[in-house]
Amino acid sequence: MRFKTDLRNVRTFSKLTAALNSLEKIAWMRLDDDSVRFTVIPDTGSQVWASLSVDLIFDNYHLQSAEANNTINLELPLGPLQRALKSAINSSYANLRLTKRDGIPMLSMTIHTMTKDGVHESRGGGGGGFGAGFGGGRGGGANNNNSPDPFDEHVFAQESLELTMKREREKIITQDIPVRVLHPDTVETIMQPKVREPDVHIQLPPLLQLKAISDRFTKLALTGSGASSSLTSAGAAAFTNTRSGGGGGQNPKLELSANMHGSLRLRLATDTLDITSVWHGLDNPELDPAQLAMPLEEHPSTHFRQAGPDKWATVRVDGRDWSRVLSVGRLEGRVIACFVDDHALILYVYVPHVDDIGAEDVVTYYVSSYSA
Amino acid sequence: MEPQGPAPPPLLRAVTSSTRPLYQLLKSINFTNKVHVEITENGLRFAADHARVMQGVAHWSRSLFTSYTAHLTRTPTRVEDAQEGDDEVAEPIIPTFQISLPALLETLQIFGAADAAARQARADVDPYRSNLRNYRSDAFSNHTLGMSGTCTLSYPQKGDPFSIILDENGVSTTCNLTTYITEHANGSGEDDGDYNDNDIPFDKEDLSFKIITHARWLLDALAELAPAAPEKLTIAATKTEPYLRLTTASGPLGSSTVDFAKGRDLLETFAVRRRWAQTFKFDMIRSATEAMRIASKVSLRGDGQGVLSMQFMVEVEGREPSFLDFRFVPYAVCEDDEMGEVGEESEGEGEGEEEEG
Repeated sequence: MRFKTDLRNVRTFSKLTAALNSLEKIAWMRLDDDSVRFTVIPDTGSQVWASLSVDLIFDNYHLQSAEANNTINLELPLGPLQRALKSAINSSYANLRLTKRDGIPMLSMTIHTMTKDGVHESRGGGGGGFGAGFGGGRGGGANNNNSPDPFDEHVFAQESLELTMKREREKIITQDIPVRVLHPDTVETIMQPKVREPDVHIQLPPLLQLKAISDRFTKLALTGSGASSSLTSAGAAAFTNTRSGGGGGQNPKLELSANMHGSLRLRLATDTLDITSVWHGLDNPELDPAQLAMPLEEHPSTHFRQAGPDKWATVRVDGRDWSRVLSVGRLEGRVIACFVDDHALILYVYVPHVDDIGAEDVVTYYVSSYSA
Repeated sequence: MEPQGPAPPPLLRAVTSSTRPLYQLLKSINFTNKVHVEITENGLRFAADHARVMQGVAHWSRSLFTSYTAHLTRTPTRVEDAQEGDDEVAEPIIPTFQISLPALLETLQIFGAADAAARQARADVDPYRSNLRNYRSDAFSNHTLGMSGTCTLSYPQKGDPFSIILDENGVSTTCNLTTYITEHANGSGEDDGDYNDNDIPFDKEDLSFKIITHARWLLDALAELAPAAPEKLTIAATKTEPYLRLTTASGPLGSSTVDFAKGRDLLETFAVRRRWAQTFKFDMIRSATEAMRIASKVSLRGDGQGVLSMQFMVEVEGREPSFLDFRFVPYAVCEDDEMGEVGEESEGEGEGEEEEG
């Protein structure tokens, strides 16, 4: 069993890892010749199936196993992966390989960063080395390069005579991520959820905007819970604390609806208030009849479209879980939400390839939803 | 209440393009769950009340809105009595109700939330951007470009919810706050002043002292006293030095005193008729901290019964100043038998803290 690859688009990989990590600490990573798949299935909350083409995040990809298609299944902790990727973001080169240390399987990430000698940095790099040194300097800063303060002009460090122009040094960092190699039989039973054809599919507004408003709604739900304020917590800060503490036990549910006429609606109703945010003019993408198992005329979304703008498909989501789901907005892809009325909500997050216009990978969120 | 056309005009409709001053004013009285609202022709009045010993009132003057229309119905019965008021045909019936204060504050914050999120996202993408001044609106924010949305307040008629409608960046948010009937019988219209029957009585005819100073200095004084976690705060105004003295006692860490002894420099207006010293619950006074932070000036007044009034003047850019009113009922002092009506909240605690007097 061998797995070795170079990393590319580390920033994208890092954002994806952060988004997954907000939902669950452990992920199932499935590698084969054609794709890389990350799956997180929390006990409660939304699950994610991220199926990426290999060349989105990997380069010089080598894979070998006894399974068909050279499949390797790993269970890996997302926190250490996220930390490793963070130090790789400004690297000049990073690779990842499956190895063993003291009998424990590890994903070992080797990160090469260019860093300049501190003394030289304070003097400014030579003209030739500037471009390379610039990138390297940033990486070096992240790696605890304890150089003297470059702005302190009163210190004149003594230097040895140096005739070469080589003023950068390469730093190599290795980050080991402990993993478990999963037997194919154990993952065989984990299936992607099957959901019937959606009633409404709609392109969501910018996720960070949606998240900002959803988060306010969640807070509003907690204000309605009647946490009676006492004067002892008079300061504004203390006031908020009691409030969030009081709401800790409950999970406010938000009502999310969409129609086939470009509208999305977020609603919260409690005893004290009833608040609704509506977006109009969103896109309901056309379905490709070739991809459908039924004629387009019989598709549920066609019925919803014909029923007019007052025909909403509605699901109820948990405010906190929904907020974590929306943090995937950092990936900046377009997001299509598929509503199965009173039943399910699926988000397809399309991740664009940086260097290949038109190519996209998809991250699928099965948002946990509740009946009214 | 009275027969009218099929669609009477809404009691209130007010539009503004910025909720920030509204939010700031209201946040200063954020110490209760429910707030009393009164709609007048000059604006909205919000009164928060804590156990009848502390009260905070914020006004949203009509000048804070780009348009403000209140169609108040008038009491026909008063027509005969109104000979003295030449044009005044009748007293308007002031609509009054209660709504959830934290919910209203959260809702006001939705306005601009999306813009802030977008700004944060941009800062995220561009690592070279300084985050030092993130709170400032930048040159390309929707607000600066004049593309900010509108916030509409509406209260169609008695019993309806109080609605806040926010239109911004293609999102339209409607928040209907349930209105509750005020606990106390409402005596609006009867009162001549700013205050109505539900308010803590404060006798403006019997002032013991009146001091106007910078709100900031009062805030500094409280910040000086707060770390010792005192339970009680004594406020004393005297004709001679130290003029104004704040003393904390009975805290676990001893007592401390702040004097405004350089009276001439510190106090803008200073009038003391007789020595006045009263003790208040410290946390109560501290609830006015937010008001002290945003206000430019504060007027401190004490009446013969010991009630303390703090009026804060908040200057809003380009508009006339807004005012915040706080009233505090002191702990009862034993010898003072005229304190009968405020005695219920002291519960015998008054004995320990006779001021030096």
